Amino acid sequence: MRSDSELVTGHGPRGGRTAVRAARLVGLLALIALVIAFPSMAPDSFILSVGVVIMSYAVLATSWNFVGGFTGYVSLGHASYSGLGGYATALLILRADVNPWVAMILAGLIVAAIAVPVGIASLRVRGASFVIVSIALVLILLLVFQSWGTFTGGSNGLRIPRPFSDDVLRPEQHERFFYLHAALLAVALLCWWAINRSRFGIGLKAIREDEDKAQSLGVPTFAYKLVVFVISAFFTALAGGLYALWFGFLDPIFQFSILVGAYMVLMSLLGGIRSLFGPLLGAVIVGYAMEFFKAQYGDTQAHLIAMGALLGVVVLFMPDGIIPALTNLVNRLRPQAASIRELSAAELAEQRREAEAADDTKEEVHR
Amino acid sequence: MKLSNGLRLGALLSTAALVLTGCLSGNSGQGGGEGGEDPIRIGISLPLTGDFSEPGKGVRRGYEAWAGYVNANGGLLGRQVELTILDDQSNADRVAADYEKLINQDGVDLVFGPFSTRLVVPAAQVAEDYGFLFVEPAGAAEEVFTQGFDNLFYAAPAVANDHYNHLAEEILAMPAGERPETAAYAVMDDPFAQGTAYGLKEKLEAGGVRTVADEVYPPNTTDFGSIAAKIADSNADIMVGGTQYQDAVNLIVSLRQLGYQPDMAAFSTAPTNPEFPKAIGQQTEGIISPTGYTPEADYPSNKEFVDYYTEQNGAPPNEDEANAWTTGQVVAAAVEAAGCADPAPECQGKLIDWLHNNEVDTVVGPLSWDEAGRPQGAHLIQQYVDGEIKIVLPEDTKEADLIHPKPKW
Amino acid sequence: MSGPLLLQSLVLGVLLGGLYALLAAGLTLYFGVMRVVMIAHSAFLILAAYLAWFFTRETGLDPLLSLVFTVPLFFGAGVLMQRLLISRLRPATLTMMSVLLTFSIALVIEGTLGFAFSGTHRRIRLPYSGAHFELFGASIAVVKLIGFGLAGFSLVALYLLLKKTRFGQALRATMQHKDAAQLVGINTDRVAGYGFGLGLATAAIGGTALSLDSTIYPSLHWHWIGPLMAVIVVGGLGSVPGAAIAAMALGLGQSLLQIPLGTTWAQTFFYVALFATLMLRPQGFFGGRLAQRF
Repeated sequence: MRSDSELVTGHGPRGGRTAVRAARLVGLLALIALVIAFPSMAPDSFILSVGVVIMSYAVLATSWNFVGGFTGYVSLGHASYSGLGGYATALLILRADVNPWVAMILAGLIVAAIAVPVGIASLRVRGASFVIVSIALVLILLLVFQSWGTFTGGSNGLRIPRPFSDDVLRPEQHERFFYLHAALLAVALLCWWAINRSRFGIGLKAIREDEDKAQSLGVPTFAYKLVVFVISAFFTALAGGLYALWFGFLDPIFQFSILVGAYMVLMSLLGGIRSLFGPLLGAVIVGYAMEFFKAQYGDTQAHLIAMGALLGVVVLFMPDGIIPALTNLVNRLRPQAASIRELSAAELAEQRREAEAADDTKEEVHR
Repeated sequence: MKLSNGLRLGALLSTAALVLTGCLSGNSGQGGGEGGEDPIRIGISLPLTGDFSEPGKGVRRGYEAWAGYVNANGGLLGRQVELTILDDQSNADRVAADYEKLINQDGVDLVFGPFSTRLVVPAAQVAEDYGFLFVEPAGAAEEVFTQGFDNLFYAAPAVANDHYNHLAEEILAMPAGERPETAAYAVMDDPFAQGTAYGLKEKLEAGGVRTVADEVYPPNTTDFGSIAAKIADSNADIMVGGTQYQDAVNLIVSLRQLGYQPDMAAFSTAPTNPEFPKAIGQQTEGIISPTGYTPEADYPSNKEFVDYYTEQNGAPPNEDEANAWTTGQVVAAAVEAAGCADPAPECQGKLIDWLHNNEVDTVVGPLSWDEAGRPQGAHLIQQYVDGEIKIVLPEDTKEADLIHPKPKW
Repeated sequence: MSGPLLLQSLVLGVLLGGLYALLAAGLTLYFGVMRVVMIAHSAFLILAAYLAWFFTRETGLDPLLSLVFTVPLFFGAGVLMQRLLISRLRPATLTMMSVLLTFSIALVIEGTLGFAFSGTHRRIRLPYSGAHFELFGASIAVVKLIGFGLAGFSLVALYLLLKKTRFGQALRATMQHKDAAQLVGINTDRVAGYGFGLGLATAAIGGTALSLDSTIYPSLHWHWIGPLMAVIVVGGLGSVPGAAIAAMALGLGQSLLQIPLGTTWAQTFFYVALFATLMLRPQGFFGGRLAQRF
């Protein structure tokens, strides 16, 4: 029901806009309330720990979406940056005795600095090389972190001391880290939102739609791509560092894993890379589905098949994500809800006039 | 359509959260009722799929056999035992989540450890945070014991670095003419595999056996041509492999392709795998390996174990099964002594204290532990003799004489 | 470093490089005809190796005979994959989305292999697995030589097909300029399908060669895809001879670097070469106009 009225009100004058704002605000507040309430709603600390994991996925997917969503460049190797973030945090704490939270931020900056030459190498040419470099980077980091045992702990892994004192029990740790992840998510979302509304964001989206045209229109495509890539790496590294502080143990084969990067892509794509909350939605769906499959089907390799199949379906049938796909499906099933293209200009004007006349927000929301 | 993505997402998320909390919290918190007829519930996470799934399945067979045996013999403290086994997919994140689930949601009374050093540390962390005793069948690397866990005990005779102790003594005791002078090492980049090979290397170097090649390769390496070339080029008298399984097979084939013939060849883990002779064929003859277990050992409980296991599974147990059974025996001994099996910190604390101060008789011999949970023993040394695995060291338990130099492969 | 070891490493490098060259040629074909980075290539490689292993286990015959089935099967699968899946993607986002699509295919193959054959490491036991002969002091393993021979033979056949036949001309035309090829009457869709089929056929041959001398397990394909990706970038995306030469060079380089650096660090050689290429000469060392745009 809502979708067609949205289309109208979306283009409508002031009254409609207020309604839009009000509804958005309500939605946002509901979301915030839900996130705040989740730890007290969770019946036991296992559910809470699943919540932390899903929240971490959400931050990772949102961070990925800076480069994936704005420029359309698909990075399969973002695990490089989350892994580097985790390791940099851990090594700063262990080797340089830095305060854990300072270490996490420093790690983010270090990884952002590392991302600059990587970005220069992989963004100079178009998409294919970018993907190849992203995969290669994960593999090379895996080798380096495994081999350089004296510094990174190698295959023995690296245990990270707790940022909170020992009398903070595990369930409370989960709760604190849940909120910390939520806060990081909020910052990342805010940043994405701000870029989305800026001139910079428009330039980036132009690259996504047609890089050649964007270039000929004077968008400094390379610089833009590089900046957003570095921002993405920065947030991904923070997410990796925060997760490392929570989990307390790093092992290169689990940190630098292509699968982790693939999960970020799947989540973002499923939720919708063009929308602010898409990656968050995708993270919740995929994170929940993984727990569900494991609880239901236990010890089989089916989770790999399921993930592969899901990714294939998303790529083939809903590359814009699940919300547009579902909306289209619903619209197709309802004959009266025609697509906007089938409205003539006159009809559109008529609807606008109606909307203008009915300057009642309640009515708008109702429709 | 842009109107209420936020609203819609809110709605979706709240539904999801409700479903999540609803569905995933199946049966929570029915933890141990004191002494009643409730079974004792034991939680375990094992790699049943993924890279470590082969040994993981062996450990599961051992645990299940142990539970069956205990239940057939009156249970533990008069209560039946019930295992809850989850699959951690050979993944560290999963193994921690699994123990979190077992302890909080399934309300288990005790936990047993998972397989592989890489998974033991994150799992032990969870167990420690909830105050649980953590006896594990397969985390032998030194790193496991230097993390400051006081709840952790390794249920096998020796830590990785001590696996080859008997062999090192034997080699260094050889008369000058027979004694190997040079050694080559090829080691997988894995804490356990490195522990075994470098434990031996340290002792041999101290005894004057020169190291002429020392190659480390990443796990999952399949092309051993160049490593074999370097070892063959060094022409070392003895060849030591810190291996798991497939790497030993590939390495041996590559060495044969280069015509390298050492006087002694020792590989960790791989030769104890029943698949090993199938993959290598006749060329296993003379290959040496440390093992923590032999079905022939005459420890009091071992015969019952071998008989029961063989009857249930149609084949005698291997090292993985034995380690799992040992884990069960160790925890059972502590439970019987402390007289309790419930998740309360007082009970778990009693179990931990008891194990720190006592010795337990198991199928791999009497075990006792130091402060960090290191067992205080050494591994047996086995060798393929006439196509069969025989224990050749130490002297008092040997079934056959050590063959040296080994036949050509 | 001794002379014999150097020679031995050279021999090993050449034998390994041959296999890389064949596989990289396949990857180049996909990229050439469709601008597709085919992540699933190495997953099909492992699938073929598993089929060879399964064939030998069931029939007891030599794994090389499994080529009779796997090559046509993979060719058909390639054509179908291009026609049914890849061609459905939007042209504007084809390169990116095809990466994800083929990635998902790789996951499905890995999962299915794990499901069907478990994660156990498998190896075909051949009577001649340890057989070798000496050549100027270096020993050459028979299985490795067979693998190299298969790869070399297939590469020559592929070269002749591309250069000497009408179909090859059409294929090359499609790779160079699709629209122009269409204008001169080439059915580029069909040609692209066959190009895909040929690419997968190289995976079938490579997989069989691999199964002769290596243990296989479902997740092994990750080990192969990285070096292969590096090879096609260094060679210049879309250039078949470039890929073959780069494969040989990198295979040799890795083998020689293992002597001073050890196995792990030598493996990073591929990636260092990849980054260096992108920094210094993004179009690759043998690439044509194609590579400059991608």
